[in-house]
Amino acid sequence: MTNFMSNALEKLNNVVKKFEVTEIDEREVKIDLKPESVLPALSLLKSEGYYHLSLLSAVDWIDEGKFELVYILYSWNDGGKIIVSTKISRKNPEFVTVKHLWPVARYYERELFEFFGIKFEGNDDMKPLFLENWDDLPPLRKDFDPLEYSKKKFPDREYQKDVIHEAKIIRGDING
Amino acid sequence: MNTNERGIWEKIADQLRSRSLWMLHYCTGCGAIELPPSMTSRFDMERFGMGPMATPRQADILFITGYLSTKTLRRVIYTYELMPEPKYVIGFGSCTLNGGIYYDSYATINKLENYIPVDLYIAGCMPRPEALLNAFNELMRMIRNGEANGWRKYKENYEWYKQNQLRTLGEVFVHDEFHE
Amino acid sequence: MGEVKLFFGPNHPGMHGNFSVHMYVEGDTVVKARPLPGFLHRGFEKLMERRLWYQNLALIPRICVPEPDINEVVYALAVEKLANVEVPERAQWIRMIVLELARIAVHLMSMAGIGGPLGLYTGPYWGIADRDRILDIFENLSGARIYHMYIVPGGVRKDMTPKVQEMIVKFLDYLEGRLPEFENLIFKNRIVQTRLRGIALLDRETALEMGVTGIGLRATGVPYDIRKVDPYLYYDKVDFEVPTATEGDAFSRVYLKFREIPQSIKIIRQCLERMPEGKVNVPISEGNALRFRVPKGSVYVHVEASRGEYGYYVVSDGGEKPYRIVVRGASYPQTLYGIEKYLPGTRIEDVPIWLDTMGVCAPEVDR
Repeated sequence: MTNFMSNALEKLNNVVKKFEVTEIDEREVKIDLKPESVLPALSLLKSEGYYHLSLLSAVDWIDEGKFELVYILYSWNDGGKIIVSTKISRKNPEFVTVKHLWPVARYYERELFEFFGIKFEGNDDMKPLFLENWDDLPPLRKDFDPLEYSKKKFPDREYQKDVIHEAKIIRGDING
Repeated sequence: MNTNERGIWEKIADQLRSRSLWMLHYCTGCGAIELPPSMTSRFDMERFGMGPMATPRQADILFITGYLSTKTLRRVIYTYELMPEPKYVIGFGSCTLNGGIYYDSYATINKLENYIPVDLYIAGCMPRPEALLNAFNELMRMIRNGEANGWRKYKENYEWYKQNQLRTLGEVFVHDEFHE
Repeated sequence: MGEVKLFFGPNHPGMHGNFSVHMYVEGDTVVKARPLPGFLHRGFEKLMERRLWYQNLALIPRICVPEPDINEVVYALAVEKLANVEVPERAQWIRMIVLELARIAVHLMSMAGIGGPLGLYTGPYWGIADRDRILDIFENLSGARIYHMYIVPGGVRKDMTPKVQEMIVKFLDYLEGRLPEFENLIFKNRIVQTRLRGIALLDRETALEMGVTGIGLRATGVPYDIRKVDPYLYYDKVDFEVPTATEGDAFSRVYLKFREIPQSIKIIRQCLERMPEGKVNVPISEGNALRFRVPKGSVYVHVEASRGEYGYYVVSDGGEKPYRIVVRGASYPQTLYGIEKYLPGTRIEDVPIWLDTMGVCAPEVDR
């Protein structure tokens, strides 16, 4: 962990009572927070130099019944990455928006609503971004099967089996 | 009706058509990255009498470069119907044939000829510019012999094509992005 | 005069790829703009969860079409970090050569391609012809022109032969001789000068607030480059500079691409010199090499692509398939938020120039 990063994490200790830190390597840590302490932690880290939001995304932990929200913050000062993660309930998932901290988060949140069905309070712009006329479960959830959907919606090409051709390949007359 | 029956004037017209083909420059998928090399000085498709065209109203060939998501397919159908007859479609890459590497994707179609008639396919992912030029030569031969009849098929089986399009897309209509 | 609704793209010669912008215009000025991505959406993040770690190699280069190699290297670095594998030294140097060649290829195409929206058609013809020489090198190296699938977790697929090294050296010599001609043709051209100077301005505060990385940010005067700030591979062992500009306009962004090419040439020459002999790949885990497993964990890896920060967030649950992979497209902020925030107030004819110089790349945004 770089000095810059440990300073930021120390200050974070004052704001957020208890959190778990996993050090992935020298310039990358992951911290697990409770949902209510995410917003203060993010605004503190932003003021501590981690002002570049690299990524905002979610992971579907279907066995636990949770969605993990992941905010990856990056600092140009020391090249450190802090992965802020929190878990919210999978049933009726809702969280607060961070678009006042990073305006681009609006689009990440819109994407998450489309792909996972996570609603963000305070962000009313939730029109589908990538898909049009979507009529199934949010596609990046683990219980959605794309192959089944593809079979239902998009007819496949039917191939006829050419027995003689295959026999020739097996005999080595032609290259398959 | 036998679509291969042509009058003498049609035959002459087809000879001339095959000598000057304008390809609509619409990059629908990743195959578009091989178009600039084939258009510019190294492979130079203009020596065969082909050139890129900006608007569908003046283009002869619709070139589907690779996978088509449903969102693009909606625009492709618009574009195809805008083009004047005779018009030809080339499917470029495996993804237009049978879905290719995206066979199980929830967003891309698997078989292009269900939605618009395709005259010629180029297999491979991704096909080389040489394959592209070869396909153009083949298409020219087909036009001369009166074999490239996709646009006639579309007119005759319009109901069938529309039905397939609606089944996959729900509606063939482009909405705007403003929240109105 | 009333406002007119204008659908710009996806089927438009001035459009940068399969992408669309819907806007309201009053006269020539854009009043309101909204990006409309998703034409190239293939659901990669879902497809990758359904394939084995090794099978994904065929899928990942297709995420970003103009520069596929960064996908391979990000994926490989992430898997190696999770599995804690030490990659042979020679493989790392070869990876750097491939990455820098790819960077030159993209820069040649986009720098010369700026002639397209401006009406200077000689530029694209020259740039793409020179890019084809790089594709020939790639073909000799990996067997494919566009999608190489060359960089695999644990190293590279096969060794770089002396013949390919010779080709690279020959090409670099040729390109160095060509660069002054490019400068004369494109950057001293009157059309380019008058058309690009002082338009599509982006200042530093807006760029940082938007989260723009790469050339868009460096054109505002900050030397932020992930190769320097957060070095991966052996970028901390080679000597190169990060060119910056202070104007923040379209011209400086295109010119930065041009000024990055000599730096890439410098890096490749050092790599070729310092590359030791030896093995080029190691297995990720014991057992079947095609069905390797990756230990549990999650990691974020990013590299400097030609357009900015390109990263993967990879989650593994210890199985044969990735649990989740998130792709951070390098041009995500400027493509989506940038268009909405920046375009109002510009003129219609400057819209393609903004899209082109900010490096908007639709496939990596849509995935």
